[in-house]
Amino acid sequence: MHIPDAFIPIPQGIVYWIIALVFVALALRWAKNEMSEEKIPIVAVLAAGIFALQSFNLPVSMGTSGHLVGGALAAIVLGSPFAAVFILALVLIVQGVLFGDGGITTMGANIINMGVIGGFVGFYSFKGLMGITRSMPVSAFLAAWLACLIPALAAAGEMFIAGTFPLEAGLVAMGIYHAIIGIVEGMVTVGVIYLIMNVRPDLVDMGVKRPAGA
Amino acid sequence: MIDNKTFIIGGIVIALMIGVVAVFMASSDPDGLESTALVVQGQKELTGATPENAEIQEDLNGKFSYESPMPDYSLGERFGPLGGIVAIVAGTILALLIVVGAIYSIKIAGKATK
Repeated sequence: MHIPDAFIPIPQGIVYWIIALVFVALALRWAKNEMSEEKIPIVAVLAAGIFALQSFNLPVSMGTSGHLVGGALAAIVLGSPFAAVFILALVLIVQGVLFGDGGITTMGANIINMGVIGGFVGFYSFKGLMGITRSMPVSAFLAAWLACLIPALAAAGEMFIAGTFPLEAGLVAMGIYHAIIGIVEGMVTVGVIYLIMNVRPDLVDMGVKRPAGA
Repeated sequence: MIDNKTFIIGGIVIALMIGVVAVFMASSDPDGLESTALVVQGQKELTGATPENAEIQEDLNGKFSYESPMPDYSLGERFGPLGGIVAIVAGTILALLIVVGAIYSIKIAGKATK
């Protein structure tokens, strides 16, 4: 759902950039105060993994493809929505500047959708669902699914404001495609969390951690 | 439990393998946003396949335009899949270095002000 430059007029792009920069500043503050140096290996691997996974477009039927976004994954594993903002913002800069995947003036909107909305929706729905279901796979799958769907609907709203998509048709198509892409997002997110928990359980934050002695 | 070095190297190797496989196997269908653009422009049915000749109409009036050095994760047709691999490997390593570099800069700057 990387929005290209051609889809949003420059003044609107600037507004999204300003909002995005506020969250990026908060994410930098989070990294400075909250992130311990023991987390650097996992952040490094998540950055590389999210970049690689984002380049892998899988067919999702209906003439459409989709790839992992990774906002929920980063937020769940590192235990903060700002982890998603931090990693996704930097990944989006590399993608936009070097590879033309997502625009420059629209990068603010992309950071808001995938980093901020994806990270916050992923983190808080995971937390809430863990409280109710006590099941990591169920909670992470649904949280990642929502963290794919809701940013897509936000993008549809931005496209409406930009005059690029009509509201209803945009919401319906974005919703249907990303409801399916979200299934991939959910499965990969659960798979990666399992993988990390198996090799380095100490690096996974939040309620995902196995209880001591178990 | 594996140590940090094994974890980082293992993680990077897996990421690079995913990226290289993607060069050969990634779907060329439009992504969700592009598909939606084609649907609202009447070039594609909502649930139908994407026609071969479908192309997104872009209104560039009042929009910014930028030519990236490696568009579409490729070095151009001349280099084929090898160019794709170079682009993805470079992007993956760069994403990692920038993220880790940003953390170290923040931590060092944070310590300096204390």
